[in-house]
Amino acid sequence: MWVRSLRQTETGKWSLHDDAPVRTPDLILLFGPTDGMRASSAPAQLAEQFPDTIQVGCSTGTSVDGVVLSDEALSAVAIGFDATRIKLATQTLTDANLSRAAGEEIGNRLAAPDLSAVFVLSEGLGVNGSKLVEGLSAACGQGVAISGGLAGDGQRFSDTLVTVGGKAVPGCVAAIGFYGFAIRIGHGSAGGWDEFGPLRKITRSDGNILLELDGKPALDLYERYLGDEAALLPASALFYPLKIWDPAHPEDAVVRTVLSIDREARTMTFAGDIPAGWSSRLMRGSLDRLTEGAAQAARSAREAISDANVEVGLCLFVSCVGRRLLMGQRAEEEVEAVANVLGKLTPIAGFYSYGEIARNYHSGGSCLHNQTVTLTLLAEAA
Amino acid sequence: MPGRTLLERQIAKSTKNDGAIDYVLLKRLVAEAYNDKELDRRRADRASRLVAEELEDALGNLEVQNLRFKAALDNMAQGLALFDADGRLAVCNRRYAEILELPTFPCCLGAKIDQILDASGALAKANDMERRLLSIEIEFADRKRTTSIEQVWPDGRTISMVRTPVADGGFLDTLSDISEARQSEARLAHLARHDALTDLPNRVMFRERLVQAIHETERQHTSAVLCLDLDRFKAVNDTLGHPIGDALLVAVGQRLRRLVRDADLVARLGGDEFAIIQRLLPTAAVPEALARRIIGVLSDPYEINGHRIQIGVSVGIERIVDSRVNPDEILRNADLALYQAKTQGGAYCLFEPAMHAHAAKRRQLELDLRTALDSGRIEVHYQPQVDIRTGMVIGLEALARWRHPDRGLVPPSDFIPLSEEVGLIDRLGTFALQRACADASIWPASISVAVNLSALQFRSGRLVGIVEDALRESGLAPERLELEVTEGVMLLNSSSAFQQLRQIKRLGVRISLDDFGTGYSSLSYIRNFPFDKVKIDQSFVRELGTSPDSLAIIRAVAGMCTSLGIATTAEGVETDAQLEILGKEHCDSVQGFLFGKAMPASELPALFDRAPFAQAA
Repeated sequence: MWVRSLRQTETGKWSLHDDAPVRTPDLILLFGPTDGMRASSAPAQLAEQFPDTIQVGCSTGTSVDGVVLSDEALSAVAIGFDATRIKLATQTLTDANLSRAAGEEIGNRLAAPDLSAVFVLSEGLGVNGSKLVEGLSAACGQGVAISGGLAGDGQRFSDTLVTVGGKAVPGCVAAIGFYGFAIRIGHGSAGGWDEFGPLRKITRSDGNILLELDGKPALDLYERYLGDEAALLPASALFYPLKIWDPAHPEDAVVRTVLSIDREARTMTFAGDIPAGWSSRLMRGSLDRLTEGAAQAARSAREAISDANVEVGLCLFVSCVGRRLLMGQRAEEEVEAVANVLGKLTPIAGFYSYGEIARNYHSGGSCLHNQTVTLTLLAEAA
Repeated sequence: MPGRTLLERQIAKSTKNDGAIDYVLLKRLVAEAYNDKELDRRRADRASRLVAEELEDALGNLEVQNLRFKAALDNMAQGLALFDADGRLAVCNRRYAEILELPTFPCCLGAKIDQILDASGALAKANDMERRLLSIEIEFADRKRTTSIEQVWPDGRTISMVRTPVADGGFLDTLSDISEARQSEARLAHLARHDALTDLPNRVMFRERLVQAIHETERQHTSAVLCLDLDRFKAVNDTLGHPIGDALLVAVGQRLRRLVRDADLVARLGGDEFAIIQRLLPTAAVPEALARRIIGVLSDPYEINGHRIQIGVSVGIERIVDSRVNPDEILRNADLALYQAKTQGGAYCLFEPAMHAHAAKRRQLELDLRTALDSGRIEVHYQPQVDIRTGMVIGLEALARWRHPDRGLVPPSDFIPLSEEVGLIDRLGTFALQRACADASIWPASISVAVNLSALQFRSGRLVGIVEDALRESGLAPERLELEVTEGVMLLNSSSAFQQLRQIKRLGVRISLDDFGTGYSSLSYIRNFPFDKVKIDQSFVRELGTSPDSLAIIRAVAGMCTSLGIATTAEGVETDAQLEILGKEHCDSVQGFLFGKAMPASELPALFDRAPFAQAA
């Protein structure tokens, strides 16, 4: 397989990074700020220039191109496969409650005996990511590795989008299926956040809406801890992710981040379910530990491609917006940490998301992660 | 490969395509980085402070919670001890230490249960063996499922322990001192089976032991049941009051207990009825020997509250020799024997099968008597009383007769006591009085009628009204009615009986003392009530001429009555010689076969028409 960055020239045209003559790419992934994606002609231009290439993209507060982060630029990466067939399936979500059904629908369309992996980009706010992945997994089968992320919007949490074929489609879920026996996929996902403070019981919740911890409004707790920064909610809630677990299975703990809040109702809506009766604990991050988390994710992903001789073609980097907010300029250090593990020559492309999707090596199934660095390594065996 | 430093990246970002550095941008990036760092530090500070506060609150709550928990534990009525999975004491309350009398509360935390039991002052009061047994039972009580044990400790307390397993593999022991509950249970059980007054076993326990005794006959152990009934107890109760009567029953119980062996049982079945089960009889004669001793010992006088009291006792005996009999039958047989003994007065009697027949006969007689009263088979006959000086009939004594369809005319001696016993005497007495008054109302006005009253007729308190009714309904002049009472009425010694007699006398009715000379014949009776007449018992008259004592008695009574202005009638006069003597001794009137037997009212006109009887010289 081959991978090239795409650059937009001053004329507005896109060109491959090294201008080397290559075959028509099979897939182009595009990441950029919501406004830029929606308003500029760049996605459409890309579609016009590469009409035979499957093109999908999503909005993000910060895109990743190599080890460089950009809050303004659109970044695109072109991928060509030697022995791997790909297929695009999309579905429009009109209601977050239909997330599972949408996942199933897409999964059904992609499902095939030689389906090896799925990379999914989804609308980032109007979706229940846990349910979406559940539906996808159910339709594709447990053996198919599912990864990807939810579109982001930086710390605004107001508008996300997914583009397909150069057009922004509201409420869209787009998934690429990878077929054949040559493709090699490696997943790694890690957080690096530290738990702190007392253990708190989830005493009232409704699906992914959290009402009370220890019998008191959860929003009160967050506002107390955030102080002045409570004004920046819901984004500032990302400084304190919530680790939750079923007391009967403490080893299957998951981390949840806030998508929105309701100051009137004193509720917080999370990217995944918050079951009542579960235990929870606040988490906080330190730069070093978060960076080490990213390195850990890279090591896991590389190990997951069991064949050490296979060269990694592309590292798809999906990291949580919460990490970006907390780390500021030093967020680049986590990308560098990944690059250090994979090697400087491994292309990296990706975005800061509102939710990461990857296989959970503990439970075996794919699921939604929050506050993690989630890597999908693509390679083709010779 | 180490990553670039922040500054290196900031410089790289600020370096323009031509290699020149954009210092404005660089400055902004550096300032932002410092700001980020400062914000992060403030966040960390705030979070640390808040967590510390939360933990402090939580600790404070925990402390309050602990204090409450401790207060609740220490105020429990039960002793509580929680042992961890290693069997070491984790929590215990004050009561636990109190019950076990541990010297070191609360310092025994961490100790194993055997060490705690070793330190227990309460268990130390037992001897070695007993202490070890108690400790082992507690120590090795099941720790995996809820178990409860109950022990009586050396100091007499009854302690109940419940052991419950807890989730962490340990166990929870609760100790309760249930001595009081067990004592009251025992007290209740005792009360249910004992008589409250004498503390002797009651009918319930008596029956249990009787069943046991019947079973024992299978092992060739014979027993006997003795049923006792006190004679004259009722008189004691009536004359001296219930408190004295009760004290007498207690004294009787004590004497009885001293008379029997430990294996025997003395019970009070109710009232003045006692019963004894005499077990393991070596010979058949033993129960009779006991009965004789009982009669002797219970007849000894009692000194109670300054009163000297003498009573008697009758005893009925039934042996238990067969396991097939039922207890009710044994008791019924002993009762029959007792009944037989009572008719003899202060005696004992062994049960014999014939008693059943006798009792059956008596029951039949009772039924017949009721029918007779209902169907008018009771008749009233009259025996003349004659003035000893004029030979004229001056009165007639009414005597009830029962005309039985099978047995012919039944004499009063056969059915008056029966009617008294079965509660028919009021009906019978009232009937005789009404009949006699009605008959007398058509006799010549010079002739009066005498009617006998039973002592029992005074019990209801309605006797005065009955007499008034009989007089009113018959129209008989009260002075022509004479009521005869025996010294049984005097023995009642009840103010109510005397009051009724006085009221009757105030009506104008005459009162006579019947059968004088038999029984106690105390002269004080005559002093205590203004009798109009004394009737000298026929036994004295019969012996006139053969026994000088009888003459002396008749003379004394007649003399005394004459001086007190009381008339005398001699009963049972059969010969002219007797009449002669009685005349000399100044008896006023006579009665007996010499003048006629009791006759139906229909034969009276002939009597009224005849000439006077011969007069005493």
